[in-house]
Amino acid sequence: MEELILELKTKILEALKLQDMAPEDIDADAPLFKDGLGLDSIDALELMLLLEKNYGIKLKSPAEGKEIFKSVRTMAEYVSANRIK
Amino acid sequence: MKKTGHVLVASASGTVMLNGKTLEFGSRGSALLVDIYRRCVGDYPKFFKMDPLSRLGFVASELLLGEEKPRKQDCEDRAVVLFNRSASLADDLLYQETIQDPGNYYPSPAVFVYTLPNIVTGEIAIRNKYYGETAFYVFEDNDEEAFMAIVEQLFQDGTTTSAICGRVECEDAETFEAELFIVEK
Repeated sequence: MEELILELKTKILEALKLQDMAPEDIDADAPLFKDGLGLDSIDALELMLLLEKNYGIKLKSPAEGKEIFKSVRTMAEYVSANRIK
Repeated sequence: MKKTGHVLVASASGTVMLNGKTLEFGSRGSALLVDIYRRCVGDYPKFFKMDPLSRLGFVASELLLGEEKPRKQDCEDRAVVLFNRSASLADDLLYQETIQDPGNYYPSPAVFVYTLPNIVTGEIAIRNKYYGETAFYVFEDNDEEAFMAIVEQLFQDGTTTSAICGRVECEDAETFEAELFIVEK
């Protein structure tokens, strides 16, 4: 799981163009939205795209991502359980 | 109307001129914009999410406004009015790349939101809390006379007293030129 968390952190930084940050700057349990990384609604759509492109996971709606995108750890748990590639 | 400041940022030569003085950054193309951001701004991470046109307009306006004493912010009487000839071509091309290959069809929302040239005027207004007029014009030629006529008309609205004006041209991420100035009524 820790390997997948690191992989996700790297992909998130790349997809969201967070060029001033390193993977170790992201707390795996911190909220991704609001207080944590301060992501916005467009970022949520990019995260959905990231899951589809890299792991073959297609979410039906942004609302579905609400629980999945709570933190990098919840993302990793979801990816681990649902990935098809 | 009078012009009270001037900035030029050109990718090909790496030229950055601010109010008649040349600033040395030692880089060109997209790296030049990042270098200007890191040395002269540095506190606005959203810069990295912007498309090339918005990055260009943003750093050029930051240089210009950094010289304004006091820097005008949080107001309704300042407009942002820009023009170019290539609209949002640079970002349009980036977006096209994300949808070009049917076998790798992943349209990027973050790229899509910049496929309009007037987004750069909004980015500058948001940064500075300008609540006045914002507009972006696309001219076939570099017609500053026609542009200034538009700005003069803008000043007739009873609210606007100054404007960030000028040309922000961006053919692609590496090829761009911006020339901005502040105009006062």
